[in-house]
Amino acid sequence: MKYDVVVVGSGPAGSVTARFAAENGAKVLMIERRQEIGTPVLCGEGVSRKIDDWDMLEGDRWIAGRMDGARIYSPDQTCVTLSADQAGNETGYVVYRDIFDRELARRAVKAGVTIMMNAQATGLLKEKGKIKGITVNHFDEELEVKADIVVGADGVESKIGYWGGIDTTLKPKDLETCAQYTLTGIDCKDAYCDFYLGRKIAPGGYIWVFPKGKDSANVGIGILASLSEAGMARKLLDDFIKKDLRFKNAEPVRFLAGAVPVAMPIETVRDNLILVGDAARHVDPITGGGLTHCLEAGKIAGEVIGKAVKTKNFSQDFLMEYETRWKETVGRKIKRNYMVKEILLGMEDKTFNMLADSLKEYNFEELSTLGLIKALVTKHPTLLMKLKPLLKVSKEERKDK
Amino acid sequence: MGKPKAKVDKKKCLACGGCISVCPHDAISWIGNKAFVDDEKCISCAICIRICPVGAISGDGGF
Repeated sequence: MKYDVVVVGSGPAGSVTARFAAENGAKVLMIERRQEIGTPVLCGEGVSRKIDDWDMLEGDRWIAGRMDGARIYSPDQTCVTLSADQAGNETGYVVYRDIFDRELARRAVKAGVTIMMNAQATGLLKEKGKIKGITVNHFDEELEVKADIVVGADGVESKIGYWGGIDTTLKPKDLETCAQYTLTGIDCKDAYCDFYLGRKIAPGGYIWVFPKGKDSANVGIGILASLSEAGMARKLLDDFIKKDLRFKNAEPVRFLAGAVPVAMPIETVRDNLILVGDAARHVDPITGGGLTHCLEAGKIAGEVIGKAVKTKNFSQDFLMEYETRWKETVGRKIKRNYMVKEILLGMEDKTFNMLADSLKEYNFEELSTLGLIKALVTKHPTLLMKLKPLLKVSKEERKDK
Repeated sequence: MGKPKAKVDKKKCLACGGCISVCPHDAISWIGNKAFVDDEKCISCAICIRICPVGAISGDGGF
């Protein structure tokens, strides 16, 4: 088998990269180790309405609910409300990730991408040190897939990068370890995404309640792996659900575990190799969200791959256009929010309570983490000192727009 | 006897991949879509045990 490109992993980053590579003239194979694209879901399923700007998803079958805002609860239950009405802009969706992922895969196929299921990448094919493709275990049969470019869209646990000589090992302080129930039999009073903070609730992370329709919700937890003990995420989530009266009559219809990189941007390009999505750590280190980044970076990756195939230049130097472009956009935000994450991790519960108290009546101009950061800086100029380096980053960001 | 090695309980593992992402010795891989520890590579650091959200990894013989 010989392709221009083999994409390892059929999540959003893989499918979008595959699609745009194919639309730009490349012959693309996408492989998936599981037996179904999109399942099992490994996601809280919340996404910003910025996703609409990319216009990559048709119809609305992938939408479980449209959100009117978000509430953030500090450790002493002080509530900060960010509402769409107040900010005059839109918030986001709770999505069905299984449908979402298959919709992106469908678009990839429409562009001409070939898909192979039950196919696990087992190593890189190399000739004289050069990457020539991958070895694949397909239904227990070992195959060789030759390709000029290998795309690692193989998730937080990426091996493609490691095999290609990129240090992708995450430090526990750069990983959120997660668990989530989808509960039904609850009364979702309104379409708000709720976030709960506190060292005892979710050390180094948060608990979320994302409504999916009138009587169901994703209730999940992410804790910083460096603060975790064996089975802690699940235990803390169970404790939270037991104590919350909303969930008195709730029953789970789904349980899942997850792992989310909350790291600084990494190297994502080598000769004949590109990383995208969770494998490239394309995740907002504060929220743990990555879907919009996958669409943005995946499109860039696909375009650059198209150019590489046309000019038959697969060198790191040539593919570097991808990295330069995603680092200017997605990367800048990740860098800034990583620095905010580090500051937040150093704060005590009482500081969060104080900050929440000062923001409980605040009118937010912008419904985003940046909007929240701006509000904090306005209210607490002393925080400015600590936040200075990242404000510099966001100024650069504004200049670009 | 050497140090105890990390061991994944296949029935408990929900295949989130967290352990693979933090293993400093590339000792964990997917086998049949569950995490599997290669004893030869495991250095008994126990990082994977602590970060597993559902407690599916333990020390073989106890850490």
